[in-house]
Amino acid sequence: MNLDGIIVKLDGVTKTYNEGQLEVTAVNNLSLELKKGEFTVICGPSGSGKTTILNMLGGLDLPSSGKLFLEGREIEKLSRSKLSEMRRDRIGFVFQAYNLMPVLTAYENAEFVLNLQGRSEEEKRVKVMKVLADVGLGGMEDRMPNELSGGQQQRVAIARAIVTEPAIVLADEPTANVDSATADSLLDVMEKLNKEEGVTFLFSTHDQRVMDRARRIIRIKDGKLDSDVRK
Amino acid sequence: MNLWKMAWRNIWRRKRRTFITCFSVSFGLLYAVLSTGFGDWGYTKLVDDSASMGYGHVTFEPIDYNISPSLDKRISGTNELKDRVRAVDGVAKVIDRIMGQAMFASASKSVGGMFFAIDPAQESKEYNLFLKKMVKGELFSTTDGKGVVVGTKLAEKLGLRMGKKLIYTFTDVDGEIVSEIARVSGMFKTGVDEVDGAMVLLPIDRVRNILGYRPDEATLVAVIIDDQRRAGGMAMKLDSLFGDGMDVLPFTETQKDVTSMIFMDKSMNYLFQIFLGLLVSAGILNTILMAVLERTREFGIMMAIGMSPKKLFQLVLAESFWIGLVGLVMGIVISSPIYYYFSTTGLDLTGSVPDGYSAGNVPFELVMKIKLFPESVVVILGTVFLLTLLAGLYPAYKAGKVPPVESLRVI
Repeated sequence: MNLDGIIVKLDGVTKTYNEGQLEVTAVNNLSLELKKGEFTVICGPSGSGKTTILNMLGGLDLPSSGKLFLEGREIEKLSRSKLSEMRRDRIGFVFQAYNLMPVLTAYENAEFVLNLQGRSEEEKRVKVMKVLADVGLGGMEDRMPNELSGGQQQRVAIARAIVTEPAIVLADEPTANVDSATADSLLDVMEKLNKEEGVTFLFSTHDQRVMDRARRIIRIKDGKLDSDVRK
Repeated sequence: MNLWKMAWRNIWRRKRRTFITCFSVSFGLLYAVLSTGFGDWGYTKLVDDSASMGYGHVTFEPIDYNISPSLDKRISGTNELKDRVRAVDGVAKVIDRIMGQAMFASASKSVGGMFFAIDPAQESKEYNLFLKKMVKGELFSTTDGKGVVVGTKLAEKLGLRMGKKLIYTFTDVDGEIVSEIARVSGMFKTGVDEVDGAMVLLPIDRVRNILGYRPDEATLVAVIIDDQRRAGGMAMKLDSLFGDGMDVLPFTETQKDVTSMIFMDKSMNYLFQIFLGLLVSAGILNTILMAVLERTREFGIMMAIGMSPKKLFQLVLAESFWIGLVGLVMGIVISSPIYYYFSTTGLDLTGSVPDGYSAGNVPFELVMKIKLFPESVVVILGTVFLLTLLAGLYPAYKAGKVPPVESLRVI
């Protein structure tokens, strides 16, 4: 497949769930593409399907029909172990809350995925110290999560998400649990990573602060593409 | 950060719960130590005492003597046999003896019983329970004298006192009834009425003369070995070396009552330990499962960022490993002083069983001590640890089975 810088492609993707006797369509025949370096928001009201889209892109859920591509690989055809590898190597996740392992230090949390990849100690050290510095946490490597503020914890989560140089970082409501000042500083970090390092970000959010910074806004309504605007 | 380190830190997130779980492992270990230790010591004591009451751990006997004992069946060349057997590794003592049935009579009464003809020079308290249990007088000093040692109950039945006459009568090798007069030189009391009321010790050469045996003939040669657990193997070895024309039997063949009783007791003991082990495992399984279910979202995040279900399984199993190990260490710490106390001082049951207790006509030692064989230690530690690991298998399986997106939905 000729990628043309396309990181992610959804081609007629539909996702339905069974809730008791009812069949619910969370995503309805959605097609879109994301290119490398984009800073994109998927937004919409609650229940519009934006988290479902992120979950599918992250290989956490599979479409009921349609095709999903990450860097040219069709996700729904991958085995469970291959999906794990894909998430480990090519995708970074930032969640709304409960991101970090409470028994690991900031350094160990950021290093977590590199451990899963089996990197050498030296390589891990160099990468982790760099990303922690990039997110403004230099000097806090040895702190436990309960010794960090909510914003600092999210910075560690961002560091963990980008340390493997993934194809894309999927952030699901990353600013939902923090105050405005912290949200702004988190967005500063992510924008800086996007502009200076070329990290591709896809946010699922209805936080206006995030939408204001995004260069592309995809609106989803009732599981369908409502609008796709590039600034 | 490797899985083992992470697992170690994880189990201490809930210190109290982990300590309680480890304590249940350690008390399971303590129970196994006490139960097995009292058993190991008790069974060994019973077998050794049974061996010292006549047949030894391994017995050289005339062919079929065990099936139908008779005084006309005997082994020849016992002196040479004893010398050869003594040279075998693991043999502590070799003694020839003559055992049989007899009638015992005093001035007032007569009763049937058993005699046990011995050479005082070969015997000692260590290898002869009757000598250990002497309560009056002493053992005759010669092999052909007229002294005898009787059980206290038999003395009571026959109205015998120290120095009084006793007549013993049996059938010799020619089928003739023969008698001898002796005087009571000593009395023993084992605490087992069936033994104290029927057994008499006689000097071996005097009995040989009466029976018409040659000086190197006896009804059995008793072999005492260092470790009663090796009796089966030792019997096979001695049989192959010296067993021509004889039966060479371990105590499991010659002392079937004692063996059966030990087997029953051991089986019940192990059954109960297994049952208790399963109960403790169920408790541990519940605790680890709770810890897994509480962390469903955390596991969902781990899988979302690339941890495979297999690694998650390994993580939870590693947590079970640590709990088992800490529980074992705690168990060893708790058990050690208790083990030391019971191995030295023992558990005194004489107050609970004032009339004594016997098994297969062997008196039971009522100050019970504890002793674990090395293989028992390995089995106990291994089993306790294995049960803890097994208890962690299902929770580990559950941890790896939930799809990440389901885990992430948990708040």
